Amino acid sequence: MSELALHIPNGIIGIPTSLVFGLIAAIVVGVCVVAARRGLDERLVPLAGLATAFIFAAQMLNFPVAAGVSGHLLGGALAAALLGPWLGVLCVTVVIGVQALLFADGGVTALGMNVVNMAVISTFVAYGVIALALKILGRTRTGLTAAVFAASVAGVVAASAGFVLEFAIGGEAPQSLGEVAGAILSVHVLIGVGEGLITAVAVTAVALTRPDLVYALRGSRLLGTSLEKETV
Amino acid sequence: MKTSRFVLFGALVALALAGGLALFASSSPDGLESVMLEGCQTGADGEISGGECALQQAGEHEIGGPLADYGISFIDSETLGGSLAGIVGVLLVLALATGLFWLLARGRRAGAGSGEA
Repeated sequence: MSELALHIPNGIIGIPTSLVFGLIAAIVVGVCVVAARRGLDERLVPLAGLATAFIFAAQMLNFPVAAGVSGHLLGGALAAALLGPWLGVLCVTVVIGVQALLFADGGVTALGMNVVNMAVISTFVAYGVIALALKILGRTRTGLTAAVFAASVAGVVAASAGFVLEFAIGGEAPQSLGEVAGAILSVHVLIGVGEGLITAVAVTAVALTRPDLVYALRGSRLLGTSLEKETV
Repeated sequence: MKTSRFVLFGALVALALAGGLALFASSSPDGLESVMLEGCQTGADGEISGGECALQQAGEHEIGGPLADYGISFIDSETLGGSLAGIVGVLLVLALATGLFWLLARGRRAGAGSGEA
């Protein structure tokens, strides 16, 4: 049986490029730690832990996207919608770290690139799209479902564009860079649609049971007050 | 729904996905791997059997370990090993993430406390 999921393995991208992206990942994740801490209510902790475990589980579920090709959830859009961009990046980073260190999924040398693509780029892009789409569509549940779907597609394609950039700098392939870029981006549009369907269902389910737990619906309201009202 | 019940229900869903549904996941190469395999032929087991492609430059994983490739090295059954690896992974990630975020939230409270003092 081949791997259930495959992030960038070691060896595909050169060491110098890997190290530069490792440094970028460390800086951005550090910024996210500082920023996430500001909004981190203790009552949010188990939910952030749950979202992280859910993303780990969902990443194992490879779904077919074309003949002989599969895709799996990255989780950036889910994390961004439920927990916001800063905490969202940290959730996906924990998943990718555990996968690389314990499950041999994604090279340890390539950890920085995998974090930059799947945790940082996918979560930030998805959050930007959700925020923009909710402004246009309104903060309704239908608006949220549509926003989350669009954000998933954009987040996954942007993450794959991150890989194309890294491959352009430090990778080698028999085909031209244009061919690699075209193939990577087009297959990730399909994976993004799959991610969009899963994320839209998951976020809508949370919004129906506990709308106060959806960061994207919170606006400027403080989480603490809304949590207290809902849980009494 | 109470937060504690919500978290419990969510954790059970995650365990069912990783320990059950994941056994039925597609074992075809994913988007990234399939593009990196372009130019190579693969055998029935998914291993590269010939040609020239970017994935040939990939090395063995630096660590490997007993849970490598979402299985358990000392359990022969792929079904049982895969299912247990998924369950272990979910519990581990849940504990690790909750612990790390708890430390982060606690650091924030301690910082605010010392600021007021």
